[in-house]
Amino acid sequence: MRFCTVVFTLLILFISYCSAGDEPDNTSKHTISGKVTDKSNGEGLIGAAVFIKELNTGTSTNSYGFYSITLPVGQYSLIFSYIGYHNSITSIQLHQDIKLNIEMEQKHETLKEVEVTSERLDKNVVKPEMSTFKMDIKTIQKIPALFGEVDIIKAIQMLPGVQSVSEGSSGFSVRGGAPDQNLILLDDAPVYNASHLLGFFSVFNNDAIKDVKLYKGDIPANYGGRLSSVLDINMKEGNNKEYEVDGGIGLISSRLTIEGPIVKDKASFIVSGRRTYADLFLGLSSNKALHNNQLYFYDLNAKVNWEINENNHIYLSGYFGRDVFKNSFAGFKWGNETGTFRWNHLFTKKIFANFTFLYSDYLYNLGTPDGNTNSFVWNSSLQDFGVKGDISYYMNTNNTIRFGISITQHAFNPGKANGIGSQSYFQDYVVPGTQAIESAAYASNEEKFGNHLTLNYGLRFSMFQSVGPTTLYHYNSNYIAIDSSIYKSWTFYNTYTGLEPRLGAVYVLNELSSIKASYTRTLQYLQLAQNSTAGTPLDFWFPASPNVKPQVADQVATGYFRNFRKNTIETSVEVYYKWMNDVIDFKDNAQLLLNKQLEGELRIGKAWSYGAEFLLRLNERKLNGWVSYTYSRTFRQIPTINNGAYYPAPYDKPNNISIVLNYQLTKRLGISANWVYATGTPVTFPTGRAIIGGKVIPIYSDRNAYRYPDYHRMDLSVDYACKEKPGNKFKWDLNFSVYNVYDRHNTWTINFVQDNIDPNVTYAERTYLFGIIPSVTLNFHF
Amino acid sequence: MKSTLKAIISYLFFLVVTVSCTEKITINTGETYVRFVVDGHVATDTAAYEITLTKTADYFYNAPSPKVVNAKVMLSDGDTNYTLHETEPGNSGIYTTSPSFYGKIGKTYTLSVQLADPIGGSGSYSVSCALVHVAHLDSTKAVFHSEFGKNGAWEILAYAQDPANEVNYYMFNFYRNGVLITDSIHKVRVSDDKLINGSYFNGSVLYLNNSRDDEKLVPGDRITLVMSGITKEYFDFVQQVQESGFNIPFFTGPPANIVGNINNSGIGFFAAYSNSYASAIVK
Repeated sequence: MRFCTVVFTLLILFISYCSAGDEPDNTSKHTISGKVTDKSNGEGLIGAAVFIKELNTGTSTNSYGFYSITLPVGQYSLIFSYIGYHNSITSIQLHQDIKLNIEMEQKHETLKEVEVTSERLDKNVVKPEMSTFKMDIKTIQKIPALFGEVDIIKAIQMLPGVQSVSEGSSGFSVRGGAPDQNLILLDDAPVYNASHLLGFFSVFNNDAIKDVKLYKGDIPANYGGRLSSVLDINMKEGNNKEYEVDGGIGLISSRLTIEGPIVKDKASFIVSGRRTYADLFLGLSSNKALHNNQLYFYDLNAKVNWEINENNHIYLSGYFGRDVFKNSFAGFKWGNETGTFRWNHLFTKKIFANFTFLYSDYLYNLGTPDGNTNSFVWNSSLQDFGVKGDISYYMNTNNTIRFGISITQHAFNPGKANGIGSQSYFQDYVVPGTQAIESAAYASNEEKFGNHLTLNYGLRFSMFQSVGPTTLYHYNSNYIAIDSSIYKSWTFYNTYTGLEPRLGAVYVLNELSSIKASYTRTLQYLQLAQNSTAGTPLDFWFPASPNVKPQVADQVATGYFRNFRKNTIETSVEVYYKWMNDVIDFKDNAQLLLNKQLEGELRIGKAWSYGAEFLLRLNERKLNGWVSYTYSRTFRQIPTINNGAYYPAPYDKPNNISIVLNYQLTKRLGISANWVYATGTPVTFPTGRAIIGGKVIPIYSDRNAYRYPDYHRMDLSVDYACKEKPGNKFKWDLNFSVYNVYDRHNTWTINFVQDNIDPNVTYAERTYLFGIIPSVTLNFHF
Repeated sequence: MKSTLKAIISYLFFLVVTVSCTEKITINTGETYVRFVVDGHVATDTAAYEITLTKTADYFYNAPSPKVVNAKVMLSDGDTNYTLHETEPGNSGIYTTSPSFYGKIGKTYTLSVQLADPIGGSGSYSVSCALVHVAHLDSTKAVFHSEFGKNGAWEILAYAQDPANEVNYYMFNFYRNGVLITDSIHKVRVSDDKLINGSYFNGSVLYLNNSRDDEKLVPGDRITLVMSGITKEYFDFVQQVQESGFNIPFFTGPPANIVGNINNSGIGFFAAYSNSYASAIVK
């Protein structure tokens, strides 16, 4: 706590220093600042480019649409640009600080329209940022989807450097990292389990989402806590101009979103809900046992925001989702809740601050109905409360300083099971939980050196304190618990600290090309007890402790970026190498559930991955999407696993191709296609066998010595929109999509089965999840 | 509780992937070296106990395991040595104790094997297992549930007092009219006392599917439940065997070799356990 006080004091001193420094220093310089928003609904545009033509320099908006740039007195043309929007050009005479809010107008897909693109859209070339991919929700909505259910995570899995962990799963591996090494943030609140229905759908309702940005490396200093990536998802703020209703009716779910102004141009809200009804089909099944099952999920997103005055803006947003499974024999419920309160405050025109209070909860409970001898309930949860302060100081055209602190309290309850009712013979069984305080402070500067070189350097200091109450087991060298210590509430029993340097550089070769490089160190203090590839709702997070050191990763990457055809075609090649230390895996035949001595099941070692990613991204008027090829390898070496020899990680799929394209044929008709190819997942197969007690016992190969057959799949969709009539707000469109067009039987798993008739015979059996799946969705808007 | 959990999960999984399909495929998993395999047990009942010695084969061998014949097999409880004899010398690979043999609670039994020809680089193997006591099985009962499955299911209940202040592992076998129904290792039920330690338990230990002729019960049938006290190692072994070979990406970790108790990288398990019986007539 003393650490926080010190940081806070320094922070306040800094702000007063900067504010005081503003006046005398700026006789010849002034600041232009404001917000860039969408003209139709007032939503802030994130990452819009602001370019000063005369000085050949610029900046971009932050995640609230705010920008600030300080220039000498003079006359300037400011060009604001954002993909999918008309450029906005403003001439100003700068002799005092100027507040300049810009409303940008969306381009509509008209065939006649010819855009003169002399503008600077080449942000991806000049920005000191690499290994990132940003998508707005409109792009994601055009990608053909399984059951027509548009899904952010499934779109992310088609990016270069990202691998899906298993067909239909919401888990993903970034540059060889494990699925729990991805920090998934929804309006700044961490989402601990992003899956619905065992991963076939993600928890993100696309109607409520504005945009998504994935950091695969070169992670800015304000993010921390996971080794491999940050997936930053922003919810829509809600239209502050007029009321809007969006909805969709699909084969397995329906959605409804309402948004509108509370006070026009000042405050707005959005509420969005979704519910699946796939279980209704179970009633049609010929298997009567399925009739009385309920299996569904629902989620609700809500957000309000209020611009109190020029200098203060507040946002309150939340997510609530649950999966429910119920029949006469058992019940099972799981889900996430998140809440975020944010306050944007402008200390001066150059100092933008955001203060965040966040809450996140993942829980599950399952059990059998009351009244039987074996009635029980079982609960598990992870709760976070956090505060953050992030400050950007737009010092001058050459320096943008960012710094901040964050403190999060985690409460872990890995599992508590107890019998219910008087008849139950079960006793309470509690896996000891614990608490932890995770805090961090960071500072970074984005500094330009002349017209060619820009550096973004920063340092993050992170600290993880384990806090009682808990029972801590001590293990001997054979991982056997020999002793335990009991810590009372609010005893700090262990502390880890770490320094995480972050460095990014861009050297602009010419208007259309650049070379970039980055180094990132990341630390991770929480991990998922997950032994399977696909993951389940029962996976739970557990913290670093005296027995489990934090994981550390160092990544270096470099790349060449080149744009073509007036920046409508972006290409890049990136190569990376990543070293990960103190990564965890589980011993053979590990027991993860209801195990008080889970830490004894862990094995700690190292992992490394490397690869090259080739990307071609199209932002043409009619054709957009991307084509990518990735070559990547990832290995682990962990004592006692695979006899200590290194082995391919479960996500080691060397060759990976993704093609995602959308073509707007006419104003009303668009088609989309994607094709993915990946080398088969590494797998351990039996090579020998013994027969014991009448059962064939497999004897396995080295870990991951074999591979499943290669994976590939093509999906198509056609989007047909209604004719737009002037004065009629009601619009609809129909989306037909086909998943797995050529009905490839992609291996989900291979089982080895002992024949029922001749028990000496065994054979291999492939399970594939989805053959060809057509679906139709009706979307409407008014 | 864990088994209930597994049932829930499997059921859920089954619902979710009602769209999935399976098909046979051909896989070449190559060849592997040969290892020595032991399969057998002794218990507190007086009987001729059989120990089967075999060799491993390549995974798709598709024939009975090659037998290990002409071995010298000895059993010791620390005080007394017993010699086991091959039932058909030079042919069966099955070695048996005398019919008057019975295991004693508290002893540790060691099986020693001298091979005629070395296997896996070793000519001799040995294996030990402690024979632990078991609580008294007071009674058993079969209860019919019409709501489970197509034709209902029989729940077999056990009534016994679990000893407090010690960790116990149980195995349950089941006889219908004197015929062993749990006749292979994947049909027996094993349980620990994690959630019931020190309690008097009256819980279900087995479910019998009334649609299957080999499990079906009718009123008047005589049922016998055998509760055995087993070691943790054997408990783990049976669990691993029961879970092996079946791989669902959601729930199963990376496949791993089953840990037995044979030295020199041999495969399999030699177990020793104590039995307690209870019988009832199905109503």
